[in-house]
Order: sequence, then C-alpha cells, then structure tokens
Amino acid sequence: MIDSPRPLIELRHLHRYFGKTRAVQDMSFEVLAGEVFGYIGPNGAGKTTSMRILATLDEPTAGDAFVDGFSVVDDPDRVRRRLGFMPDYFGTYQNVNVREYLDFFARAYGLRGTERKRAVDSVMDFTMFDTLANKPIAGLSKGMKQRLCLGRTMIHNPAVLILDEPAAGLDPRARIELREMIDQLAKIGKAVLISSHILTELAEICDKVAIIEQGQLLAVGTVEEISARSETASQVRLRALGDHQVVVDWLAQREDIDAVDNDGRSFSFTHVGSEENQALLLRDMVQAGFQVVEFSSKTKSLEDLFLHVTEGRVQ
Amino acid sequence: MTSAPSTLTESMTESAAEVLSRPSRGRVDEFLQRVGNWVEVAVDRANPILVKEVRQALKSRQFVLTFLVVLIACWVASFAVVAIVGPDVYYVAEGSRMLSVYIAILAFPLVLIVPYSAFRSLAVEQEDNTYELLSITTLSPGKIIAGKLGSVTVQMLVYLSAVSPCIAFTFLLRGVDALTVAILLGYFVLESLGLSMLALLAGTVARVRYSQALISVILVLGLAGAFFSSLGMAEEFIRNSYSYIRDVWFWVGNLAALTFYLTTFALLHAAAAAQVAFPTENRSTPLRRIMLLQHACCLSWISGLAIEEGVSIIREVVLVTAIFTGIYWYFMGTLLTSEWPHLSRRVQRSLPQSKLGCTFFTWLNPGPGTGYMFCVANVTMVLATGLFLIWLLPSTRAMGLSLDQIVFFMILSWCYVVFFLGLGRLLIGWIRRFIFVSLTAGFLLHVILLLVSSGAPQILIYTSSSIRFNYDYSLLHLSNPFWTLYTVMDRGIGGFDIATATLILLALALIVFLLNVRAVAGELQLQRRALPQRVVEEEEELHPAPEPGPSNPWDNTAEV
Repeated sequence: MIDSPRPLIELRHLHRYFGKTRAVQDMSFEVLAGEVFGYIGPNGAGKTTSMRILATLDEPTAGDAFVDGFSVVDDPDRVRRRLGFMPDYFGTYQNVNVREYLDFFARAYGLRGTERKRAVDSVMDFTMFDTLANKPIAGLSKGMKQRLCLGRTMIHNPAVLILDEPAAGLDPRARIELREMIDQLAKIGKAVLISSHILTELAEICDKVAIIEQGQLLAVGTVEEISARSETASQVRLRALGDHQVVVDWLAQREDIDAVDNDGRSFSFTHVGSEENQALLLRDMVQAGFQVVEFSSKTKSLEDLFLHVTEGRVQ
Repeated sequence: MTSAPSTLTESMTESAAEVLSRPSRGRVDEFLQRVGNWVEVAVDRANPILVKEVRQALKSRQFVLTFLVVLIACWVASFAVVAIVGPDVYYVAEGSRMLSVYIAILAFPLVLIVPYSAFRSLAVEQEDNTYELLSITTLSPGKIIAGKLGSVTVQMLVYLSAVSPCIAFTFLLRGVDALTVAILLGYFVLESLGLSMLALLAGTVARVRYSQALISVILVLGLAGAFFSSLGMAEEFIRNSYSYIRDVWFWVGNLAALTFYLTTFALLHAAAAAQVAFPTENRSTPLRRIMLLQHACCLSWISGLAIEEGVSIIREVVLVTAIFTGIYWYFMGTLLTSEWPHLSRRVQRSLPQSKLGCTFFTWLNPGPGTGYMFCVANVTMVLATGLFLIWLLPSTRAMGLSLDQIVFFMILSWCYVVFFLGLGRLLIGWIRRFIFVSLTAGFLLHVILLLVSSGAPQILIYTSSSIRFNYDYSLLHLSNPFWTLYTVMDRGIGGFDIATATLILLALALIVFLLNVRAVAGELQLQRRALPQRVVEEEEELHPAPEPGPSNPWDNTAEV
C-alpha cells in the first residue's frame, strides 16, 4: 500500500437509474493507491454500470464519483488522463497490427515523439508482445487480445486502472500471467478496481473487496473484515481421544453448537460465535477433561462469503 | 513476466526542436534529412485518427478497389475518346466533352464513396466497440471529428491525384480553359468535404443498429441524388462557363455561397462534436456562436447588396432573406428550445460574470429559455434590418409585390416564429414536469404543434355544416402560417382583414413571449460556480504563478 493524501477512487452515494430499474443505489467506497479492489456481484448487479460511470462513459443519476479527487461528472477530461479502462469487450480495429494499435492509443492520449515510442515499447515488453509487434490484431488469440487490451489501458501510465472481467475466457496460464501483471501494477502504486466472476482469483490478488447485488453495496473491506462482520457460524473439526459418545453428548448440551457429526475418527459441528468464542470452547473442553488432539475451524472462502452475504440470491 | 513496468513512469520527451536540429551530412543529405525531420515532426503531431485511418485505408480492399476502378475508368475513357475522334483530334476541340466524362468518373468517388466512407468510419467504430475506447481518451470531440474528416480528405486527394493527369489532358485537347477546370474541381472538392461533414454528423446521430441502417439508406439515396444533380450542374457549367466567368454576379454569388458554405460547415462540425461530447460539456454555446456568425454574414451580404445595388433589387433581397432567415431561426429554435433546462456544474463554471458579459453573452448559455430569447433577438434583428433598408431605399414594386405586402409579410412571419417557438417551449417545459423529454422529442413536439395548428382550422371547417364548403381564406385560418403568408403574397393586403390578423397575431406573440420571459428569468439567475479545490490545485501545479518581481528599480535597491 502506498501512502497517498487522497483516495484515487472514491464513490459518494452513487445512484444510476434506467427508467424504473435501479442499476446502482447509494454506493460509496474508496480505493487507495497501490490497492487492488475486487468487485464481486452476480450478473446485473451494477458492477459494469458503476465502472462505466467511473470511466466517464456514463453519467450518474445522483451522487458523484472521483478519480484522484476529480469528479467524473464535472471534470471528465482530467479524469481520463488518470484512468485506464478495460471493458469486458475487446474493441480492436481492422487492418491494424499490435504496434499500430498501441501507437494509436498512445497518440490519442497525447504522447509525442520519443515519449510515445518508449511508452509503446514498455507496454509491449510488459504484456509480452515484443516479438509480435507486427502481428495483425485479427490473428490474435483471445488471451492475447486480453493482454493487448490491458496494454492499451496502461499506455498513458494512468494512476487508476478499472478492469471489467479481465480474466473472462482466459486459460489457466493466461490467468496466472494476468494476476502477476495486476500484482506488479499495484506494487508500483496503481489503484486497481477489478471485477470478476472467478472469486478464488480475486481472493488471491485483492486487498479489499466489495460485494454488490441488485445495485446495492452489501459489504466492503478485506475478506477477513467482511468475514468477521458477517459471519456468526463456522464449521469446526475436532479430534479427541476417549469415548466418542461422551464427547457428542457434551457438545450437544452447549447452546453455541449445532449439527454435531461423528464419523468415527473425528467430529464436525457448526459453532455459532466469534474466534474468541471458539477459543473459550476449546478451553472448556480441556477443563472438562477431554483429550483434544485437533481443533480447527474452516476459514470461509470468498465464495462462501459471497454466498453468505448475498444470502444465496446469486443468479 | 519479463520486466516490471518501471519504464512507464520514466518518460523522456524529445521535442520537435531536437528532432529538427539533428546533425546531418552534405548539402543534399542535409536537405533530405531536414525534409525527413519535418515530415517526422508533422506525422508525430498529426491527428491520431488521421494517422490510424490512413494506415487502415492503405490496407483496406475497398480503398484499393475504388482507386483501381477510378484509374482504369480514366484510362478506358481516354483510349476510347482518342480512338473515336481519331485524327480529328488535331482539329476538333474535344476538351469540354472529355472533361464531362472525367468529372463524372471523379464525382463517383468524391460524391458517393468518400462521404459514405466518412459515415461508415463512425459506424464501424460503434460496431467494433472502439467508439467508447476512443471517447475516453484525451482527444477532444472536435479532434475526433477533425481526424475523421482529415482521413476522408486524404482519400479524396488520392482519388484526385488519379484523375488529375486526365483532366490536364482535356486542357491539351482544347475547348476548355484552365479556370473552368479549376473552378469545377474546387466545386467538387468542396461538395465532397461538405457531404462528408454531413455524413459524419449523420454517423454521430446513428448510435443504434436500426437507426444506423435507416440513416445509411437515406444517406445513400441522398448521395446518389447529389451525384446526379452535380453531374447535371457540372455539364451546364462546362457548356456555359465562358459566359459565367465573365459575369461579376457569378463571382459575387460564389463568394456569398462560399460564406454560407464555410459557416454551415463550421456549424455541422460543431454539431457533430457536440454529439460525441460528454453530456456535461457545454455543447450549445459553440453552436450558437456559429449561428450568430452565419446570421451576421447573411445580414452583411444583404446590407452590402443594398449599398451596391441601391433601390433596384432591395425588396427582393429583403423578402428572400426574411423567408430564409424565418425558416432558419424557426428550425434552429426548435432545437435550442428543446435543450435541457438544468445547466451542469461544469457549464456553470463558465457563466459570464460581469454586467456587460451577462447582458450580451447570457443568451449564448445553454438552456431552452436563453435559446428562445436568442432566436427571437435574431429574428427581430432581421425584421428591423429589413424594415430599415426598405425605408432607406424606397423602390418600385418588387416581384409584383407592394411595399405593404412585404412589410406585412415580414411582421406576420416574425409573429409566427415568436409565437410557435414560445408555445413549443412552454409545452415542452410543462411535459418535462412529468417525463423526460429529449432534444429529438422536443423537436418533434414543435413539428407536431405546427402541423396541428396548421391543420386544425381545416378539420374544424370540415366538421362544421355551415362553413363546410367555404374554401376561401378567413381569419379562422390564422393559426395556419403557410396559408396566411401565402395569402398575403398572393392576394395582397386587400385579400382579407390583414390589420385585424396582424393585431391578433402580434398580441398572441407578445403574450407567449411574456409568458416565456417569466420562465426564462430562472435561467438568468444562475451565478458562476467556483472551480473545485482539486482543479485549482492542479492548475497551480501546471501553471504556477510567476514570482512577484520588482515593480521599479528602487525595490531592488531597497532589498539590497
């Protein structure tokens, strides 16, 4: 994380309505420099709409969004200089090769002379296109096109990157490469807002996540924070020596334990409470004379968390 | 991963001066080097869209194919004529006939292909999903349109270069002079550019697939019409160029047409740029400025003609100007009064502050109220200028019309424009209380209002048993501007009770005007909004205030 006087992305009570459809409702969050911010939600949740507003492609119905302190509504030209947007489509030209494509966008972002050549070379190097400079875009694979689009997004060295489903349709190797690229971008101080359906990947690269459904922000923070805020029940696995039935009976008496299962070797049950409560449970068991050899609670994955926060309303 | 993108943050700019001052060897080498450097700098600074589209065009089959067709058509025509004319080529002046053939070949790409390519270049951006990517770059809307226009200009020049040797050949065949050829080529270049600009505007309007298809068909039909009418006019000009060129009014007319062309071109360019601009941008003021310029040019030409020609044609000129400016301001007014009434914060930052600025420039601010006042002021200016010129230069009857007819015609036209625009604006404002009314919907409401108002009396008459078969004009038809104005022109002021008609219309126009004034007041109360703190900070970073220096020699001495 890089210290910055102001958040690079800020949404303030953002609303976007399309007739009676409320695509985005009262959405607020911040993304700091060097932070990778994951945007999670089912199809039609309002992710792309809010990203398009940030990218100055759409206007909010109410509220505002800021990029490096500049309003996307009032100063879209200043926002565009600081922002790179990678939409969920390719957007490539006919009869143009890789270098020409990047060169065009470098020119369009006002880069001149050697500055432009260096930017194009750097991006081609970063996206591993240096050997494919003269390859027509039409002949590129989907993964290559994704990489090229990421290159276009960062051609003018923006402080903020907004990536809408960048990993969609990529093979595992390309996904790993993309993840590494995003990681590097965050390390050099970029604020990255990324949406994806592949939650396991987001969990690995994101510093923070926002869970959104039906245009509303349900939770924001690190995975641990959201987990701590929203989670009341966790799955615990226990192995103890001695008579298993005694253990089961003892566990069944407690009010914070439910659904006790014994497979003959270990026990599993649902514990309602925080991690501190789990520690107290372990202490009580030891004090009650049980010989506990294993006590583990399963950490919820981002997928579990998402399903939990959205109450299973995923479409 | 090969390397971290640290180089992205390190940028070194080689300035144009550095490029131009690169060392070189030998005189020829030095010259070539210098030319090369100039070209490099020019290409580097050229519009990005121009560079990209020229690169694309050179690789596209459509461009290569059209170029070859034009080239082959020119060769075939040349060989055919030489074969047909045979040895007579030494005695017969075949230049003008050949020029007609070559012009027809040239008109095909210039009037059909190039403008349609301009339209398609924007349509393809939408189809290939590149339009949005382009719109979020730092290219201004004006530059995007200029780039598209630049690329079609380059295409046009390439086609011209293919046909120009053949056109030079017609000059050698005699029967046509260089000036005729130059004027004709000039006409076609301007026509091609103008049509391309129109096609680009159409391209910005066509955002969805079905409207693209519809506009595409209309455009192709329009271009085909322009193509055939251009050929007819070119033929006429080639045949009679000798007499045209010697007529001073031909040049005056061309100059006036060029003024109209240039201002209309600028208007279309600004309109196309406004279409691609971000919604919170001020898209109205540049258009209003150009409208004002066009209007000023029009009035200047009338005044110039009045001074030059005196009494002989002044009434005709005033009458024709009143008709055209009335239609012009009504059309522009339907769009301006349909604008959204709420100014964005961004627009509010640039509102005029001083009293002088508020007095003169408020009417250029976006908004339906200011738009209405802007149109009314301009129409009033035409009426005042026309009446002044008629009073200044009294003449005999013009076009068979009396002075009274012309004066009443102008006053009634003014009333109709003020009334219909005002009523339309009030209607749109009222509907906007309940639903969103877009600019297009506002324009359509104006058109419907005019049509209903024109047709209502006739429907009333047809449904009435007592006056059903009365086909004469009466005061009942006062809401029909077309019939009323036609009656004034056709039957004169004695044809009906024109005094009562004028009084009623004047009263209605003034009532509607005053109702609008009340509503417009809200738009005028808006004050300039201060720049956001972040913008001020960046401006200070980018353009730091200069260090305060000594204001006189003693300041320095005092410091010492």
